[in-house]
Amino acid sequence: MSAHPFKAQQTSARSVERVAFGIFRAATYFILLCATCIFGTIVFKGAGTVFQTKAPFINVPFLSQAPETLFVFEHEGVKLKMGDREFRKFKEDHNLQDIAAESYVYSSGGIWPCIVGTVLLVVGSMAISLFIGISSAIYLNEYSTHGRFVTFLRLAILNLAGVPSIVFGLFGLGLFVVFMPVLQNFDNPAVASLPVGFGHYLNFSGWNVCLLSGWFTLAFMALPVVITASEESLKAVPMGFREGSLALGATKWQSIRTNVLPYALPGMLTSSILGIARVAGETAPIMFTAAYVVRDKMPWDVERPLDMLFQGVMALPYHIYVVSSKIPQNEYTERVQYGSAFVFLFIVMGIALTSIVLRIKMRSRYRW
Amino acid sequence: MKSTTAQPARPIGEALLNRNRFRLLGLTPDEIIKYFFNGNAVVAIVVLALITIFLFREGAGFFGQNMRNLRIYRLAGLEYVDFIRRQVDEHTALNRALNESRLAQFTKLTAAGKTVEQANEGLTPFDAFATAFGDSVEDVRGVLSDLTEAATAIKQKEQVNHDRLEQKGMLLGAGKAEEAEKITVTPVDFAAETVTLKGAFPAYQEANRQFAAKLGAALASAPAMPDAKLQRQIDAVKAKGQALIAAIPGTERAMQAWRHDEPIPLSRSLTSFLFGRQWLTASFWQDWYGILPLFVGSLLVSLIALAIAVPLGISAAIYVSEIASVREKNIIKPYIEFISAIPSVVLGFFGVAVLGSALRALSQLSFLSWFPGFPMSERLNSLTAGCLLALMAVPTIFSLAEDAINNVPKHFKEASYALGANRFQTIARILVPASLSGIISAILLGFGRVIGETMVVLLCAGNRIAIPDFTEGLGAFFQPVHTMTGIIAQEMGEVVNGSIHYRALFMVGIMLFLLSLAINYVAQIIVRRYRISIG
Repeated sequence: MSAHPFKAQQTSARSVERVAFGIFRAATYFILLCATCIFGTIVFKGAGTVFQTKAPFINVPFLSQAPETLFVFEHEGVKLKMGDREFRKFKEDHNLQDIAAESYVYSSGGIWPCIVGTVLLVVGSMAISLFIGISSAIYLNEYSTHGRFVTFLRLAILNLAGVPSIVFGLFGLGLFVVFMPVLQNFDNPAVASLPVGFGHYLNFSGWNVCLLSGWFTLAFMALPVVITASEESLKAVPMGFREGSLALGATKWQSIRTNVLPYALPGMLTSSILGIARVAGETAPIMFTAAYVVRDKMPWDVERPLDMLFQGVMALPYHIYVVSSKIPQNEYTERVQYGSAFVFLFIVMGIALTSIVLRIKMRSRYRW
Repeated sequence: MKSTTAQPARPIGEALLNRNRFRLLGLTPDEIIKYFFNGNAVVAIVVLALITIFLFREGAGFFGQNMRNLRIYRLAGLEYVDFIRRQVDEHTALNRALNESRLAQFTKLTAAGKTVEQANEGLTPFDAFATAFGDSVEDVRGVLSDLTEAATAIKQKEQVNHDRLEQKGMLLGAGKAEEAEKITVTPVDFAAETVTLKGAFPAYQEANRQFAAKLGAALASAPAMPDAKLQRQIDAVKAKGQALIAAIPGTERAMQAWRHDEPIPLSRSLTSFLFGRQWLTASFWQDWYGILPLFVGSLLVSLIALAIAVPLGISAAIYVSEIASVREKNIIKPYIEFISAIPSVVLGFFGVAVLGSALRALSQLSFLSWFPGFPMSERLNSLTAGCLLALMAVPTIFSLAEDAINNVPKHFKEASYALGANRFQTIARILVPASLSGIISAILLGFGRVIGETMVVLLCAGNRIAIPDFTEGLGAFFQPVHTMTGIIAQEMGEVVNGSIHYRALFMVGIMLFLLSLAINYVAQIIVRRYRISIG
């Protein structure tokens, strides 16, 4: 008896299908494999710097000290490596004046100022961009009516999203660093300055490389992502919520405040975070606007609290750029290179992962 | 009876609608709130406008400064001297080619088991030829170095004058007329100065005669080498050497016709930027700001990245939306989204620390040596950067393409199945064509992301400012390049605010900005115009 008539037959079309699906699957898993390789290398090598086998299991000095120059030298037949301060002390103790030592900048000590700078940059720019972005999204979704202005606005947002990060850096340099006015009170004003009374002048000499310039540059860069994400979650709130509130006599703002925002806000925040993670990982915009290669003082070592905003900071992404391009690759520099990359990856990926997990949770919480 | 109750001033309906509310500048609180949000939304437009304004504000001055740069190049006679320089450079390039062939031949001989002495002995006639060839240009080189000094001196004079004028202007601006008076500026008499340059022409002619004679003799005595490849290279050098001799009268005529005061068209300032093949800064001789090598570098790296990312990204999009199980989907999608959050500087570091060496080690494997361009000479080159950029482009291409495929109406698919097509036939003939506009715009946006990426190319592309040698075929993909984004990031930190170099970098930024707008625009047009109407 022959096989039953509806049994799948081995045709050429079917084998083509099988091969094609195999290729698609292979391509997909190849992408995942590549990404895993990168994560793996950096985590594996970086973990050696950041963690240790003895208690407290975390390499506290690496996370809590400032970068130092590493000196490698031979003393009494033993190869020693020391940070700058330790090396100087060692020289004094052993009365060695001119000992031949190889030096590697930034390869000793830790990355504490860089972590602080990155956190300051991210928190400030996040606050600015969330404020402007969420307000824009409320306008676009709740108030705006179809018209030329809104079409133009959406076009602007879309185009802003495609502007390369280095162009944002140039923009930040041209606007904030060399043009923005600063208040000054000297008697002999520069050519381009505006008197504002009380012996003060607005001097258009720019804010220089400082935290504030970096905040605004990064915030504007994150803006399109935040607006799009916030609008998505406003759209997800059913129309009935607004209509019910309006029917009871609430004003527009009251209904938005009580019936829309409480449901949309968590979603707005979580999906905006992914955009912020991407911005936190950017180096190009802060290269000329906020980051210093090296700075001895911590950001809070200032005379007046406001000065904190008008000074540059060290930032992790820029530090990684410096240590991976300006110093050689060898066993002595590997420690700080992989360690910084690992810590940075950990911070950024942590933010991104939180966002992704929260979003999946959020989806299952609200169902209307 | 007359009612004593006072009539309300307004009808009740009107009074209800027009409650006496708090107003500020004629706006109710609700309107104020609305305009507040409106104002925030306008920030996006304002930022875009500010980007345009400030890029052009800093960049526009480039044209004036570049014009001055080009004008002095001609006035001070640098252009005149460059006729000779080009001749010498061509000769040097040929000489270098000869040296490279010798080295290759030497390595080949020693690899074949000969001792160093034997190998050198075999190459003796070649060395004699190479030395004669190299020495033939000495006279011309002497004239060149004299004239270079003279022209540099003229340029220097002009530069000093320019600085003095600027200082004078500043003093006058600050109201210090007396001090300004003390600064005297005597304009450079370019006509008289260039006459001395031109006075060296007979000596140059004489040097040329020597050069032609010596080079001709050297070429005539070129040895016949037993190795076929080496012989081919010698023949090529011979042909090019003859061409060099033949070009001498042309060069001399051009030099005689050259005038220092010939006007330069204004458009040259723009064209020398857009089509200039040299980006040369902080040079002792003459700075050139031509964007072409950077643009070609950016394009080459992006094309490599897209060649890798497009097949991968679209395959993954098809796999996830049509083939994968729900559980696979729930892992793959967030994972790929996760990739897009990897900081670019970390990827760049990975390229410097691991990928560059790994790719070069791969290219040195002997069984791959048939591949053109292998083994790679540099660790960091366009391929290294391209591979990493591909990983950055994949998430963009993947998620947009997946959206496009998901948006194809379900009944398209059902109709296809009903006609007996299997899943692959449905994907290949129905789903992909129906979502093609979305897929193409996904690729374009991926391209936009890649060409605007900075840190990866800065760290991994090798940063050699030169147009890759496309005569090497596929080997061009393994040469180091520099990119538009990379040059800004690398040089902006070191330039003086307001200098021509600073403005040139802003011009590169403007090009990038316009390019990104154009890519966005085309992507939108494609989506809008070619979307299959869903009915």
